[in-house]
Amino acid sequence: MKHAIAVLSIVLFVLAMSLLLTVAGGLYIPSISVRPLAELYLNTTYNPWNREFTALSPEGVTAIVWDYRGLDTVFETTVFYLAIIASIAIARGIRKYSALPGKELGLSLIVRTVTRITTTLIVAVAISIALHGHLTPGGGFQGGATAAVAPLLILVAFSHYFLLKRGVSKDLMLVIRSLGLAGIGIVAIATYLVAVASGLPGFVLQNQPKPLSPVNLPAYLGGQLISGTLWFFNIFEFFAVMAGFTIVFLLLAIPERIARGGGEK
Amino acid sequence: MIDPQVLVLGIGALAALASVVAVYFAVIERNLVRAVVFSAIQSTLYALLYYILMAPDIVLVYVPVAVGLYPAVILFLISKTEREEKP
Repeated sequence: MKHAIAVLSIVLFVLAMSLLLTVAGGLYIPSISVRPLAELYLNTTYNPWNREFTALSPEGVTAIVWDYRGLDTVFETTVFYLAIIASIAIARGIRKYSALPGKELGLSLIVRTVTRITTTLIVAVAISIALHGHLTPGGGFQGGATAAVAPLLILVAFSHYFLLKRGVSKDLMLVIRSLGLAGIGIVAIATYLVAVASGLPGFVLQNQPKPLSPVNLPAYLGGQLISGTLWFFNIFEFFAVMAGFTIVFLLLAIPERIARGGGEK
Repeated sequence: MIDPQVLVLGIGALAALASVVAVYFAVIERNLVRAVVFSAIQSTLYALLYYILMAPDIVLVYVPVAVGLYPAVILFLISKTEREEKP
């Protein structure tokens, strides 16, 4: 009976949504008045002939996330920061956990060998996603979330002890994450500080020169396009997100028996 | 000869329908570990859908979070409680 109700409600939902989409596609077409917004972003995201309004990044999404709407993303990063702080606060009763090797550690030899290969690939792909975030789809959060899968796989396939023995501890990850967040803050106010020091008007989260304020971060580094602040934001966000997720998994991997006892005696 | 656009959108529609089936099994399944696997299958199909709907930035964040990190968090939590859902 319960299964029949579940099937019926899912089928009805799918049919209702498809009917709605079919009917709405014929009745409602977005008006022409919303198109200039898209045209504005597409015309200015990489436009070297209009240096006062461009973000100088061929990737429109990253330009909107970190330049046009940079303050929103800074607050999103703050939300993620608070979530990690909350999970560390929940685990505050665990004083000490060394994960000493008891008997056999980790999964079988085949799984461990495959994990050795795939974690290398995952980290390489993650770094390329983060460093190319201003040129191709991707960015700091995407790269950081991808890189966080690597310590997770090591944690499952090898052991907690394997990570702790190589120095990947909660405290080190907390330091990396704090440095990443501090870097985001410094890049956000870098142009403002430069402008104040040279007596010009300046903005917080400014990337390229604006009509009122001529200061900017370099758009090219050694002949390579780095799009001013976007590249630095992506790098720092990569480290902050990667270390933040790793902290959560290191805390979750502590066995419940030890977590309840407040750590090892 | 099939129009390539219709073919790609048809693959997307099939993926969407298959994801509904995966959601049904994830809701019904009493064994929580198997429910997480069904949920991961649904996430994989969603990632394909996002790619077909031309949102590569979302795909790059959805694949590690919804296929890698989220099932792992749920599996860690299941290992701390019980594996079977009580009726």
